[in-house]
Amino acid sequence: MKKQYAFLVDSEKCIGCFTCAMACRNYYHQEKGVVWRHVYPLNEEIYPHRERAFFSLACNHCENPACLNVCLVEAYTKREDGVVVHHQEKCIGCGNCIRSCPYGAPVYNPVEKRAEKCSFCHERLDAGLLPACVQSCPTGALKLIDLATMEPGNHVQFPPGFPKNDKVNSSTRFIMPKVPTMVRR
Amino acid sequence: MQSMELPLVLFTVLSQAAIGLVLMNAVRLHAGPGGGNARKEWTLVAALMGVGIAASLFHLGHPLESYRALAHLEKAWLSREVLAAGIFFALAAFAAFTGREKGSPVLVWASVLTGLLALLASGMTYAPPALPAVNNALPTVFFLISAVVLGAGFASWFAADGNQPLLARIFVTALVVGLVVRLTVPCAWLSGSEIMRQTGMAWLGAPLYWIHIALMAACLGVLWKNRAIPVWLPILALAGELAGRAVFFSETIHTAVNIGAPY
Repeated sequence: MKKQYAFLVDSEKCIGCFTCAMACRNYYHQEKGVVWRHVYPLNEEIYPHRERAFFSLACNHCENPACLNVCLVEAYTKREDGVVVHHQEKCIGCGNCIRSCPYGAPVYNPVEKRAEKCSFCHERLDAGLLPACVQSCPTGALKLIDLATMEPGNHVQFPPGFPKNDKVNSSTRFIMPKVPTMVRR
Repeated sequence: MQSMELPLVLFTVLSQAAIGLVLMNAVRLHAGPGGGNARKEWTLVAALMGVGIAASLFHLGHPLESYRALAHLEKAWLSREVLAAGIFFALAAFAAFTGREKGSPVLVWASVLTGLLALLASGMTYAPPALPAVNNALPTVFFLISAVVLGAGFASWFAADGNQPLLARIFVTALVVGLVVRLTVPCAWLSGSEIMRQTGMAWLGAPLYWIHIALMAACLGVLWKNRAIPVWLPILALAGELAGRAVFFSETIHTAVNIGAPY
């Protein structure tokens, strides 16, 4: 398998503090209303416990990205390390990628009038640094992994609460939260 | 509810009306000589497609950079749609400027071919994986029905008297098929996956959806009574298709709205 950088979301460790989303905003100074990373609470039908569990999601840097396939001006490219990059200077703001991505990763920038999305902080990766969201996570719930070298484990690709789409083959992997321990005295 | 995408509503419906007109032109060629004014008809085809293409530019954040839209013909159905619509418009404009009262069969069949390709590319463009309810052949089916309904309706303005019953039959058939498809599809979605169910609920709860159904039924009622297509009826059908297309764009649920909940 070729190199494929991906996010590992450990929902057992995630406390829903939004630090990853804030670090992303702080690093890129996005326009008001433009958010690349979201923290989604798991619905009680999926995680029926008093304590909540979360998925921290941005772009999933898919193997066969819907955004790249539908972009009429070739504003998307996939690097050799698997990172899907949006070249905003090429974008004409047609919104086709926004409509097509099953994960809602590309968003419209109303000031630039072009789409934009998580870049996996590829300039930081190239400098040997971690993405801003991964570096900022206080619990280590968000990790950078390479699917080509990742050992088999208890991670899943399409957990409940995450749209399954085999065609685009999302790269993000998840560790599901455990059932809370009930202590009776 | 997402954006109504008015420029895309206008582009898709008007372009499909133009494609439908050349389809009906081809049907009339096959049916035999029937007279009519080909030049005026081509002018309407070119005008509908031209207005549609112009409207679509308002959808872009940077309309002046739209000339780069053909860069990804290899994979992007939207690039292919732009190319096919552009060739169709060029053929229609050529026919309108150079044509005589009697139309050219070569131009008709070339336009039918590019028009159907544009319609297919449109159907594929608006069937992305993020919209499970329409990530299939349904957009192409919806668009083809719109093309035939509007094509038969507007062709009645130009066809000779001998061809009017044929056009009325096609108009009625397309309306009946359209009504059946429009009424059954959202109900079928209700028993599908969570996002399909939500899409079915959203469509059935949208006033514009019922306006579309009511206008299609009204067109059928008028045809039932008159047995011919009154000159104003295509405008009523066009209003219905615009309402229906607005529902298609605004009420089809995106998978991203449900992240964290069951699918």
